Amino acid sequence: MSGLSDEVLAAIDAIEAGPQGPTVGAFFDLDGTLVAGYTAATFYGDRLKGRDVSPAEFLRTVVTAVDGELGGDPTRIAHVAFSAMRGESEEAFADLGERLFRSKIAGTIRRESRALVMAHQRAGHTVAVASAATSYQIAPVARDLGVEHLVCTRLVVEDGQFTGATDGPMLWGRHKASGVRAFAREHGLDLSTSYAYGNGYEDVAFLSSVGHPTALNPHRDLRSAAARLGWPVLDLSDPVGGSLIAAGRTAAALAGMNTGVVAGLSYGLLRGDLKEGRNAAIKLATSLPMSLAGVTLNVLNRERLWTHRPAIFVANHQSALDIPVLGNLLERDFTIVAKKEARWDPRTFVGSVVIDPAYIDRGDSESARATLDGVAERIRSGTSLMIFPEGTRSATPVLGPFRKGAFHLAAQAGVPVVPVVLRNTGELMRRSSFVLNPGVVDVCVLEPETDWNTDDMSERIAALHTKFEETLARWPG
Amino acid sequence: MTKSEDFERWGGAAGWTSGNDLTPMQTLMWRSEQHPVQSSTSTVIIDLDRAPDWKRFVAATEWGTGLVRRLRQRVVDPVVPTAAPTWADDPTFDLGYHLRREQVSSREEMLAQAAQIALRPFDRSRPLWEGVLFEGLPDGAAYVLKIHHALADPLGTVQLLSMLQSGKRAHTARKPVGEEVAAPAAADPVDLAVSGLRTDVATLPEAALSTLRGLGLAATRPQAVLASTLRYGASVRRLVSQAAPPSPELSPRTGRMWSFLTLDAPLEQLRAVARQGGGTLDDAAVALVLGGLRRYHERRDGPVREIPVGVRVSLDRADDLGNRFAGAIISGPLAIEDPVDRVAAVRGEVLSLHTERALEVLDAAAPLLNRMPAFVGAGALRTAAVPDAFVLTLPGPPRKRFMAGAEVQGMYVLGPLPGAALTVCLVTVGDTACIGVNVDASAVADLRDLEECLVEGVEEMVSAG
Repeated sequence: MSGLSDEVLAAIDAIEAGPQGPTVGAFFDLDGTLVAGYTAATFYGDRLKGRDVSPAEFLRTVVTAVDGELGGDPTRIAHVAFSAMRGESEEAFADLGERLFRSKIAGTIRRESRALVMAHQRAGHTVAVASAATSYQIAPVARDLGVEHLVCTRLVVEDGQFTGATDGPMLWGRHKASGVRAFAREHGLDLSTSYAYGNGYEDVAFLSSVGHPTALNPHRDLRSAAARLGWPVLDLSDPVGGSLIAAGRTAAALAGMNTGVVAGLSYGLLRGDLKEGRNAAIKLATSLPMSLAGVTLNVLNRERLWTHRPAIFVANHQSALDIPVLGNLLERDFTIVAKKEARWDPRTFVGSVVIDPAYIDRGDSESARATLDGVAERIRSGTSLMIFPEGTRSATPVLGPFRKGAFHLAAQAGVPVVPVVLRNTGELMRRSSFVLNPGVVDVCVLEPETDWNTDDMSERIAALHTKFEETLARWPG
Repeated sequence: MTKSEDFERWGGAAGWTSGNDLTPMQTLMWRSEQHPVQSSTSTVIIDLDRAPDWKRFVAATEWGTGLVRRLRQRVVDPVVPTAAPTWADDPTFDLGYHLRREQVSSREEMLAQAAQIALRPFDRSRPLWEGVLFEGLPDGAAYVLKIHHALADPLGTVQLLSMLQSGKRAHTARKPVGEEVAAPAAADPVDLAVSGLRTDVATLPEAALSTLRGLGLAATRPQAVLASTLRYGASVRRLVSQAAPPSPELSPRTGRMWSFLTLDAPLEQLRAVARQGGGTLDDAAVALVLGGLRRYHERRDGPVREIPVGVRVSLDRADDLGNRFAGAIISGPLAIEDPVDRVAAVRGEVLSLHTERALEVLDAAAPLLNRMPAFVGAGALRTAAVPDAFVLTLPGPPRKRFMAGAEVQGMYVLGPLPGAALTVCLVTVGDTACIGVNVDASAVADLRDLEECLVEGVEEMVSAG
């Protein structure tokens, strides 16, 4: 199961079958195309929350927005916003962009858009984000997607402050189209073989600049125009948002987790076998909440989870959901290493009582080393370890760099490393979200790797990192 | 081979006249006509390699009017607008009134006379066409045909002419003739009004019912109806208001001084430029006119970046081949120097019109406007925003054609000027694009300059192809 719709797979096949190389351009609109929703609304929502907006400015914004909807000039709303930014520091605004990306926007990147971007990157095409938005909205998204080029609205900055004016026209409608054509001239692209993806009714001129336009989750007027113009339409699934039902299920899941823990531990106490009780608690505490929340697992190479125990299981990390998922996979006789701060996280708190993690104080390397020595001993005596080598959850499915700790432990304890690739846990439970959405988590267990030592460790880690990336890019099966 | 082709085409011409009533849109234009300011008259200039034998030419025209019945019919309007005007045979039809010949000594003189002919109003009680054969030109002759929109729009006129022309120089004996159709019951303005009223009364319950149904729908789903009404309104507003403002270099327009220009361009190169810019020949035609006007504005130091241009959009398909068309106004890019980039920009503007749900708003409103007094319809046509230039592309005959033994060397359509400073029609004749330009002479400070600029605009496109 690839997780991509048949239409998207067909589009990717067509990209792979078409001309390759950097003279082919692939232009992606941002709002509503790469990401679901409007990044500008996220920025404005933040301004409203920060009380940066006077009632007069708010009224003007609303009136302008409504007028734009009713056939007035739709770009005026942006100019109202830009002029309100006069005197603000560019650096602070760029920081805000980064912050909003991590907390909000990253979670709205469509998985299938990402797959299309990656297909164009694999084909060696020149990929660009073409949008009326500013670089502060686009740059974090583009960086996350590995897209180098931005064709976007530029704001004038003097002495580090916005003047409230734009440098050239706002790249909306015909101006986006001419921006794309100018970019194509500069970079020697052949537009007749190039691709463009957009969703707004104003994107027709932009889309018609290339030989392969696609209306992606189109606005109703673009949809009817695309039908008339014979352009392909792709409807991508949106990242799952938290619904009330999902919130209810999450509450049930948490209750289930606690019930599971209590039941398991009681069982252990009754039997007088704490280890067995712990294992029962893990099993109940991970499978009960997941089934209550409507989360199921689809596991490739499940047998590899058992062939090399005790082992160090390494997995990529996007979501708090990863821990119960791995707990459910490993079932018994394992523990985790966690940073000290995670001890009181309510989402993992109950579980951590059961699996008795080894907490590391990252600020104190002496104590960290002592803890790890103890952990190596525990592994040798039969308790496997699960570890997230990225160290922290990534905001998006893009893989962060691997830290060496897990592999040093493998060398020290003389046990194999079993790599576990997780997909779409981040979609079911967003970073810094408490709400778990129903869905299927894809898991792929890679070939276990044995005989770790410090001599070639860096190369082997790099190779393993690449394997993770490849698996995420082209899901096997 | 050409003979059987000719017969097939002529058969088509005989069937060309269809329907006795004017369509709602034709009715609107017929009733609100105020020649020449709000004119519905197109003029076709056909260059011939020699002056045809006059007797043979008259006989051929006689035959043509017999084949295409409409050329012998007139429009009868009901006394009150309860019904659409209808076509009826003109019992007093006299070919001599519609066809004559004149002597000129130069092409300029012929063009000036053609403009004068076009400016004279039709006698609305007679068949709506007039033809003049100009002889004495240094390189042949020219046939000028003036035709009313109610009889044929420019596209129909070119089609009709291409159908009537012959594939060979020699005379064709025993040409097909139109069936002797019984003339429609003598149409009387009062009878028409009464029968229209009778139809209205008969269909009244049905109309009332459908109105009620509409109101019921609005009552049960007020939000959906309101939303869709607002969206339609927004689209109308965008279509009317969002094109560029008119250029000060192309005013003041009186619409009373027409001046005709003709230009030629090799089709092959124009199509090549269109392809490079990802557009059609229509887009290339608009880009060509904009290129000429860009130079004109540059010469006059007019810093204008965009002008409103009236184009024809297919309501069915993107390739301008559908059956339903709507006129719309785009912002024509005047600042783009590169012809290929200009074609691409025009392409984007034209295709963007396809997102407008109100594109056919005038078509939709025409039946209603027709029930109002004529000045209401005229007002509606006037409020439709006015472009600086109309640009239209028409398919002409693909191969060599003859008229009474004279070879057709060019066919130029000079459209009316309903508020615009220029109306440009590009007709494809064989491998040549014949470009006819009607200019409002009062709006242009220097006609010679404009002509030179347009010629340079053509050269620029051709050398890019």
